[in-house]
Amino acid sequence: MTKRIGRREFLTVGAAGVSAAAVLRGRAAAQGKPVRIGYTHSATGPYSVGSGITQSPNWALWADQVNARGGLAVKGEGRRPVEFLATDDRSEIETAVRFYEKLCTDDKVDLLLPPWGTAMNFAVAPVANKYGYPMIGPTVSSMKLKELSFPYFYAILQQPDAMMAAFAGLLRELKTQGKISKVGLIYVNDLFGIEMFNAAAGPFKAARLDVVETRNYPLGVKDLSPVMKALKAAGVDAFVGLTYPPDNILCTTQAKENDFNPPVYITAVGTAFPFFRDRFKGAEGVMGIAGWNPKVKHPGAREYYEAHVKKHQKEPDRWASAYAYASVQILERCVAEVGLDRKRIKDMLDATDFSTVVGPVRFVKGINATSPAMVGQWQRGEFELVWPKDLATSAPAVPKPAWA
Amino acid sequence: MSPSVVFDLLVAGLITGGLYALVALGLNLQYGLMRVLNVAHGEFLMVGGYLTYTLHTAWGVNPLLTVLVTGPAAFAAGLGLHRLLYARMLRAGESPEHFASQSLLLSFGLLFILQNGALLLWSSDLRGYSYLAEPLRFLGAVFPANRLLAAALALLVSIGFYVFLRTTLAGTAIRALMEDQEGAQLVGVDVRRVHARCFAAGLAMATVAGSLVSMLFELTPFIGLPYTVTALVVVILGGLGNMLGSVLAGLLLGLVETFSVQFATFDLRVIVSYTVLTLVLLVRPSGLLGR
Repeated sequence: MTKRIGRREFLTVGAAGVSAAAVLRGRAAAQGKPVRIGYTHSATGPYSVGSGITQSPNWALWADQVNARGGLAVKGEGRRPVEFLATDDRSEIETAVRFYEKLCTDDKVDLLLPPWGTAMNFAVAPVANKYGYPMIGPTVSSMKLKELSFPYFYAILQQPDAMMAAFAGLLRELKTQGKISKVGLIYVNDLFGIEMFNAAAGPFKAARLDVVETRNYPLGVKDLSPVMKALKAAGVDAFVGLTYPPDNILCTTQAKENDFNPPVYITAVGTAFPFFRDRFKGAEGVMGIAGWNPKVKHPGAREYYEAHVKKHQKEPDRWASAYAYASVQILERCVAEVGLDRKRIKDMLDATDFSTVVGPVRFVKGINATSPAMVGQWQRGEFELVWPKDLATSAPAVPKPAWA
Repeated sequence: MSPSVVFDLLVAGLITGGLYALVALGLNLQYGLMRVLNVAHGEFLMVGGYLTYTLHTAWGVNPLLTVLVTGPAAFAAGLGLHRLLYARMLRAGESPEHFASQSLLLSFGLLFILQNGALLLWSSDLRGYSYLAEPLRFLGAVFPANRLLAAALALLVSIGFYVFLRTTLAGTAIRALMEDQEGAQLVGVDVRRVHARCFAAGLAMATVAGSLVSMLFELTPFIGLPYTVTALVVVILGGLGNMLGSVLAGLLLGLVETFSVQFATFDLRVIVSYTVLTLVLLVRPSGLLGR
């Protein structure tokens, strides 16, 4: 009995102490009410890999930087600290939707950031739209987006049609140079892979590419060696894999195991991760979807790269990470110029040229119309941009060297 | 289709199947024999993979040799877990069905603890390394050495364990326990001890399977569940507690999957796998080699 009372007393005193400390600390740091920004992220579950690479670290970095400057500049109110209301959605779409409903109605946050991944963004875009929260998605790529058209939803990443056109452009050029002739295409049987595959048909045909072998495989596949062997047997000299990260690593491993080393080897999601480079001992010559690297000349790009490495002790990936950071840069500028009125933020998003770490961004009907789709290639430790030519940081190295 | 393609597919299917059999071994011991429905099976596999990854990348230990660490460590951890959690339920002397459902709840807890523990220790980033990813030539076809090795080890361990169950006194005790707990006690089987060791051996097998799987696939803290599901299908398909049945079921699933990926234009894999399971259970309700 005495023991129980003792513990309770301890808890009461302890709780009082903690809350007092919180109040005092709050007072010391207060420069006005915090700007509350809500989002869910996939801290657990299958999406956590992507979420932990491309989104969460960049938002954490941005919030740190903004708060170090004294807070987010809100028009007419001076600087206010940024406070995140972040919840783990466990990679479950319905959980994310529920939390976004709560963020909009219960918590009444000032702004929203999106969850990770195309499917997640699809699910929460209607919620953001319904409550009039502008939301900029850096990890959503789908042709369906244009059809659905949620006025408050913005996609800053390159979309499938532009990406496949970039692939086709590079391959056509290499074909005219006589470096390749037979294209082999594989895709993951999932919304992403199917959309990419469908988007590839037009540009590949227009570029007069000879696609000699097309295969698809299910998500979570454990063995792609029969597929890689078939491509090798068909004499494919330009391999295009419309992959997700796990199958990207699997098919690359198995290409090496099966002595399949075509002059051009392109894969999609995951290739731009520094992990990919390290996993394949430099991955020299492997190409993939790109959008950015620390060598680009856009203002703040190098500083962003260095700050990311300093804060997280890991490099940002060479595709979507910088777009995630750019999306909060854009939001920051909107709030500085029009305040937290979300309708006015939307109007500004619709009609402004933004300068970001990924270069100039302008949204046309909710889609980033200025950032071109790019192809990258691992060359001596950097994911060099090799296509389009006018933005290239290096020339494409074809044929790729033997697997390390 | 040329004979060489068929041969390729056959061997690739058998190798994948061997892998499935390997993954199912530990669960077969725990669920098939002891009715401990350990849904955290895949999580123990994941931990085994991470331990091997860490030993290999941080200290350069040969991934194959790491099983000499991960296996015994998991066995010890299994004995500890058993004493801490499962022994209490055994003591209550409940029916096997009750025990199965209780152990299910327990292992759900373990699943979350292991996943989040791994998340804290290794983060959600992909981890992996390359080992024995060398092509082996065999009858004109090319196969990766590491997959062949994993499949061969699965076969060896399964056959070894089958012989152990059939020919040794300890194996007989395990089988007796499975058939009739009270009867086994009457003839002098130390139920708690046998139970604890079987559970621990199951964990050790899961962990060792994880060590081998880490040579082939990338790791995240969340890779476990699909392995648990595959293992359950294999165990049920092969017949509860039957190690050879497990191997057969694993090989069958591997073949079915490999051929369906090759010939279907869309994802038939899951449908085909479960159709096979349903058909087998319709014809033989206790599994391929179940009694």
